[in-house]
Amino acid sequence: MSGEEGVKFPLSEAFSFSLESIKRRFGRALVTMLSIVLGISFLTFLLTTGRIVSVLYGEGSGVAVQFYQLWMAIIALLICSVGIVNSMLMSVTERYKEIGTMKCLGAMNTHVLEIFLIEALLLGLIGGGIGAVAGWTIATVWQAFTQASSANIFMISAGLWAEFNPSNPLLLLANPLIAIALSIVISLLAALAPAYIAAKLSPTEALRYEV
Amino acid sequence: MALRYEYAVETEDLAKYYVMGPVTVRALDGVSVKIRRSEYLSIMGPSGSGKTTFFNMVGGLDRPTRGKVFIDEVDIASLDAYELAWLRAKKIGYIFQTFNLIPVLTALENVTLPMVFTGVEREERLRRAREMLTRVGLGERLDHKPGELSGGQQQRVAIARALVNDPVIVLADEPTGNLDLHTGLEIINLLKTLNTEKKVTIINATHDLKMIDVSDRIFWLRDGKIERIETRAEVAVKEVE
Repeated sequence: MSGEEGVKFPLSEAFSFSLESIKRRFGRALVTMLSIVLGISFLTFLLTTGRIVSVLYGEGSGVAVQFYQLWMAIIALLICSVGIVNSMLMSVTERYKEIGTMKCLGAMNTHVLEIFLIEALLLGLIGGGIGAVAGWTIATVWQAFTQASSANIFMISAGLWAEFNPSNPLLLLANPLIAIALSIVISLLAALAPAYIAAKLSPTEALRYEV
Repeated sequence: MALRYEYAVETEDLAKYYVMGPVTVRALDGVSVKIRRSEYLSIMGPSGSGKTTFFNMVGGLDRPTRGKVFIDEVDIASLDAYELAWLRAKKIGYIFQTFNLIPVLTALENVTLPMVFTGVEREERLRRAREMLTRVGLGERLDHKPGELSGGQQQRVAIARALVNDPVIVLADEPTGNLDLHTGLEIINLLKTLNTEKKVTIINATHDLKMIDVSDRIFWLRDGKIERIETRAEVAVKEVE
C-alpha cells in the first residue's frame, strides 16, 4: 500500500463528533452530567465554606473543622466518582453496536478511544463548571445570610480581598477552579476503562453485543 | 477502475473454529474459493452453515483459525491495524441485516462517515453523499434520522454508505433478512443495478431465494463447507426440470 493511503481521523473531526454526540444524546449526557454536578457542587460548597470560616475566625481556629471537612470532601469525591463511572460505563456499553459499525467503516482503536475521552472531557468540563458555580454560590450566599459580617463574604469566598488572604492574593476563585480540574480528571479516569475495553473489541464482537 | 487482478477475493482452506466448552464448532471448515471482479455472488445455505462467518472472515472483521483470505491479491492476515482499517474503509463496503446505521446521525451524515476515515474534504464528502443517496432514491430524505425511515429506506442508506467510497467489494450479510418480500426485491434489484453500473463485486450471504435470479454464481454452503457452486443458468435449468 502506498504512503498516502491510510485512515485519517484528525482531532478536529473527533472533537466535532464527540460534541455532536453529546448534543444529540442530550438526555444521556444530562444523566452523566448530573452526577458530576452534584459531586462537584458539594465539594466546592465544602471548600468555599471552609475558606470563609477560616478567614473570619483565623486559620488556627478551624483545624478540627478543616480535618472534618477534608474527610467530607473525600467522601463527596468518592460518591461522585462512583456515579460518573457508572454513567460512563452505561453510555459506552449501550453504544457497542455503534462502535462495531464505526470500526467496519475504518475507525481504529485509538479513534474510538479518542471519541469517548473527548466526550468525558467535555462532560467533566461542563458538569464541573456548573457544579463549581452552584456549590460556590450556595456556600457564599448561605454564609452571607448566617454570618455577621455578610458584606465581605462574597469577596472572601472569591479570594478577592487581599487583606483576608495575605499569603496568596492571587487565589482568585481557587476552589471552584480546583473543583473543575478534579471533575475533568475524574471523568477521564472513569471513561478510560470502559472506553479502552470498547475500543479493543473486534468489530464482530461489538456488533454481536446486545444491550 | 483498472482491472488489475482477475479475482477480487480468494480464500485458501479458510477455517474458523469456535471452542464452546467441550465442543469445537467448525463454523467454517476449509473453504477455498475465487471470486471474480465485478461478480454478483450469493452464498446460500441454512442458518448455521457458516455464511456469516465467511462474511466476517472475508471482510477482515474476524481472524480465521486456519487458511488465508486475499483481497486484491493481498493476504489480509499480513496487514497491520492501520492497513486493516484502510481496507475496511476503502476497499470493502458492508451491508448488514440490521442496517447498523448510527442512530443519532442523519442519513446524509451516515453516508459521509466512511469518507471521514479516508480523508475526503468536508464539501466533497457532502457532495458525494448527496449524490449517492439520490442514486439510491433517497434524495428527499437526506436529513432524516434512521428512526424516521422505514426498513427499506434504512437499508438504502446502508447501501449508499457501503458504496460511497467506491470499494472493490461490497459484502452483504442477509441484506433482505429484515425486509418484507416487496422491499426485499427492491433492495436486490438496487444492488444488482449498482453492481452492473459500478462494476463492484457484490457478495451476499443470504438464504433469500429471490437472490438467485440476479446472481452470477451461487455458492451453496453446508456445515462450514462448500457443497456446490452453480451459475445462474445451472440453477434455472434445474428449475425447469
